Amino acid sequence: MRQKSFCFFFSSKRTTLLPLLALNGCALHGAPSFPIVGAYFPAWMLCALTGVAVAVGLRVVFLLTGIDALLSFRLFTYVALGTLAALALWALAFGP
Amino acid sequence: MSMGRVRMGGKSRIGILIAVVCIGAATLAGLYVAYQDDSYPSTDSAAIDAELVHVASVVGGRLIDLPVHENQHVHKGELLYRLDPEPYALTVRQAEANLALATAELENQRRLLAVRTAQAATARDQVTRAQTNRDLTDRTVARLAPLASHAYVPLQQYDQAKVARNDAEISLSQARQQSAAADVAIGDLASATATQAASQAALDRARYELRQTTVTAPADGYVTSLRVKAGEVLAPSQVLFTLIADDAWYAVANLRELTLPMVHPGDCATVYSMIDRRTPIQGRVESIGWGVLSADSAGLARSLPLVPRQMDWVHVAQRFPVRVRLQGAAPTLLRMGATATVEIRHGAACP
Repeated sequence: MRQKSFCFFFSSKRTTLLPLLALNGCALHGAPSFPIVGAYFPAWMLCALTGVAVAVGLRVVFLLTGIDALLSFRLFTYVALGTLAALALWALAFGP
Repeated sequence: MSMGRVRMGGKSRIGILIAVVCIGAATLAGLYVAYQDDSYPSTDSAAIDAELVHVASVVGGRLIDLPVHENQHVHKGELLYRLDPEPYALTVRQAEANLALATAELENQRRLLAVRTAQAATARDQVTRAQTNRDLTDRTVARLAPLASHAYVPLQQYDQAKVARNDAEISLSQARQQSAAADVAIGDLASATATQAASQAALDRARYELRQTTVTAPADGYVTSLRVKAGEVLAPSQVLFTLIADDAWYAVANLRELTLPMVHPGDCATVYSMIDRRTPIQGRVESIGWGVLSADSAGLARSLPLVPRQMDWVHVAQRFPVRVRLQGAAPTLLRMGATATVEIRHGAACP
């Protein structure tokens, strides 16, 4: 249900950061547990990895675009952004 | 240097604002997700479960016929295996003969009872006869007494009459005793009837054991752990294989006690069997386990309580098995013990 609505977001005219996440959400339909070489990894681990990747990615993007210079408390800001991305993925792809 | 400091100071206000907004949003999102996670419990360490029958016969013997094989699906009532019925058929014949013997003995006793009843009647007639004789001798003595006192009859005759009356009295007493003894001796058929009932019960039991040499499926299901062939000798109640009943399948989800208030019998659940993690299976929460063995309460009931010394500050939440009955799942997804993911009140199968 929730995943379907998410795919609906993807196919609709929403054009913010959602499409990127939506791609994930739609690819992830099925059990919130991922088999990798015979072991099942929980969904929250995928979310955490995504959060780390998003934080690193944003850091690179912000450095290239000069937004990074505007920031202070950069560590906390990037951690917060990564956390937000991870929680958003969880809520949209795995939450109720 | 001073230019740099001014620049940093000038840009730090918007930087601080961005940092505060980001941290605040992340905190709120974290609280929201934590609340959602508590309200809609899920677990990825559930297992697919079903009910079992350990197939055995209450009688022993040689396995002579085994038409089923490992992993075969059987229907309720289908023949699973047969033991050699010959010893049990012989026991049935023996019990039948014993019953015939007991029945014949009952008939015999019935005839003897008729004889004893007739004898008792004869004894009663003898009492009547003795009584009549005694009465006659009484009257004779009474008649002779006045005559003898006036010497109209010889004293000898009067004496003989008195002796005859005494004899008659003794005969009456003996007849009464014999009649009482004959009445007691009649008895009844209780003993023979009970013997016949015991023989009948032994025959029924022998027939029951003969029937138990044929074992049929108690439910629809799959034959598992069958490793022997016909020819094996089985002890009474020895389990030959296990039948996994497939009329009802379950997922057993171990959920933390903190989330149990959010789980109610009848709740919808989305279950994924990891045999195919893309196919959601709809389930209904059937019940929540009422007890698990805890390490703190383990110990012999008759002994003293086992209380470990401890200084633990962090206690891991206990988990309880929540039994979810699966509905309309493809048989290929259902194998007992398969890993499963259970989501209570959300997921693809719960609109």
